Amino acid sequence: MTAALTQGLERVPAQAGYLVISDGAVLASSGDLENDEHTATVLQGLVATALGLRLPLGHEPPFRRLSVVFGEHSLLVTVSGQKLFVVKRHHHVQEPVAV
Amino acid sequence: MGCCYSSEAEASDQEEETKRLLEPAASPPNKVLNGAEQSYHNLPSARTDEQAMLSSILAKTAINIIDVSAADSQGMEQHEYMDRARQYSTRLAMLSNNLTHWKKLPLLPSLTNQPHQVLASDPVPFADLQQVSRAGLSPCGAPQGHILILEEQ
Repeated sequence: MTAALTQGLERVPAQAGYLVISDGAVLASSGDLENDEHTATVLQGLVATALGLRLPLGHEPPFRRLSVVFGEHSLLVTVSGQKLFVVKRHHHVQEPVAV
Repeated sequence: MGCCYSSEAEASDQEEETKRLLEPAASPPNKVLNGAEQSYHNLPSARTDEQAMLSSILAKTAINIIDVSAADSQGMEQHEYMDRARQYSTRLAMLSNNLTHWKKLPLLPSLTNQPHQVLASDPVPFADLQQVSRAGLSPCGAPQGHILILEEQ
């Protein structure tokens, strides 16, 4: 069951860890996010806040992914089947190309 | 249990075993044993020694046994069980009333049926991040700065 949940997350490019959260509990975790309940709690709050926003265009669902972008990594969050899926991905800041 | 017996076997102190046998017996196994000893009273001493050894082992075992059947003797009547069950139910109902905020966790809408693909798709384009940063909408230049982005596609 847990393996099925996390199998795809492990294959996310440049992932440095993941969390699967259900009802406030961490179902699965790995890497930098292993047992990171604090991050889990904060991200649940963020998702709840984001879902509370009423976007003018009335898209359904309102969004597919929430990205928290830091300098060298991002936390990407989505919701499926009453579970929050979180992946931490490294990204290299691209220098603007001088023409 | 096996380990318990083996440790006793290692402690092969004959005097210790004899001493325990002479202790006043209170438990039922010892009573039976005393009766058995009487019937073998006239047997040769070798047989008596063997019997004494066996008796001492039995006595030792009896001492180490905790009789849990005694707990049942002070058991409750059926109506007492029912009363207690009712009390527990009432308490539980009271507690769950206080936990309404916990029970009413908002149901999350499903944003996608393929979470793995959504998370594996391309990150937010750097140019977009720069634009947001330049517009002063986020303290991206600060060391701990971050940007929150809700992506529709």
